[in-house]
Amino acid sequence: MSNERLIAALADELSPVRRAPAPGHLTMSWLAVTVPILALVTLMMGPRPALLSLLLRPGFALDEALALLTAIAAAYAAFCAGRPDQPGWKLLLPVGAMALWLGVLGRQCLLLSVSTQGGALRLHVDAMCVPAIAVAGIAPAVAMVWLLRRSPMFRTAHACLCGALAAAALAECTLRLFHGSDSFLTLLVWQMGSVVLFTLAVGAVGRAALGRARSGRTVSYAGS
Amino acid sequence: MAEEDANWRIWLAAAQAGDRRAYGALLAAALPWLRARARGRWPTATLSDIEDIVQETLLALHRSLALYQPPRPVAPFLFGIMKLRGAEVRRQRHRHAARETILDDVPVTSQALRTNPDQDAAVDQAAMQAAIGRLSPRDQEILDMLKLRELSLLEAAAVSGLSVTALKVGTFRAIRRLRRAMGVEDVE
Repeated sequence: MSNERLIAALADELSPVRRAPAPGHLTMSWLAVTVPILALVTLMMGPRPALLSLLLRPGFALDEALALLTAIAAAYAAFCAGRPDQPGWKLLLPVGAMALWLGVLGRQCLLLSVSTQGGALRLHVDAMCVPAIAVAGIAPAVAMVWLLRRSPMFRTAHACLCGALAAAALAECTLRLFHGSDSFLTLLVWQMGSVVLFTLAVGAVGRAALGRARSGRTVSYAGS
Repeated sequence: MAEEDANWRIWLAAAQAGDRRAYGALLAAALPWLRARARGRWPTATLSDIEDIVQETLLALHRSLALYQPPRPVAPFLFGIMKLRGAEVRRQRHRHAARETILDDVPVTSQALRTNPDQDAAVDQAAMQAAIGRLSPRDQEILDMLKLRELSLLEAAAVSGLSVTALKVGTFRAIRRLRRAMGVEDVE
């Protein structure tokens, strides 16, 4: 098909479209949907004793703030990844936030292990983390895939991975409100391991779901 | 991206609202710009590759009209689509090229072309079986015993109850009829 005929065919087929919301707007919508659900999950699971005083401790508050920052940065990057005109640095935002989060956790673990003479380095089996992250992360993940499916998009793999990381980070942020860990190493290995596991699994499932949605919307013109 | 026409933003926003004339004008105006940008980005690509990338970009733009946010500039939007779709097209080309063999470069004696005699043999065998099927039952039985199952004349005589001489004559006639059934005319 010649370019002129293709242009004429595309113009003939044009119908009004509903403008997709901006990535920042979508991120706010995602938070608006998921935060109440996660608050409900925390209440149902039973908040940790003395949660308020825990939140006032600088170390705990910093961890929670960084988990939330990672979740927001990853969600924003997921929505930016689908847009062709978004700069590359926005897509790398969650990498920086995640590195900062892990760095702060690692530093706290190191300091605590020195002050407790290795007490913080005891690793216990905490099999509760995996299902707890999955339960807390399922609603943010479903909301993310639903929002990503609403508009045609590019860089699907990157969007899905960032979206899954956003859901996992928010789930981890919630998990620490109703589930504590015996030592910092347990937290790093089991809780952060669950975050990575959840991110990879949901990223793959989300990509398959979005791929099916995209193939259903393919325009049937063959360039020849 | 300084080459962008000020009208592009107006046309693309109008296209989102369903204005076909504005959309056509935008696509026509963006076509040479896209071609030039594609040539600049992929200088080693062939002309047909460039045209494919441009067409893929137009199709992807059509699918992604909802993603444009006015009054953002249109050129980065178009160029972003072209970069992503173009890279995909180039990847597909490389993948296909790795699986393809150009026949001009293969000598006729190459083992790579070995499938042809096998195919011919299969076709010949099918034609012969069809021709045997058109012969009389007696001819079919004689050919089956002596040519397919490769029995000796004495064994065939014992199985069929015919004499050795009758089998010899019968074989000669059956083969002649088979050749005729396969379209071979014997010169008398």
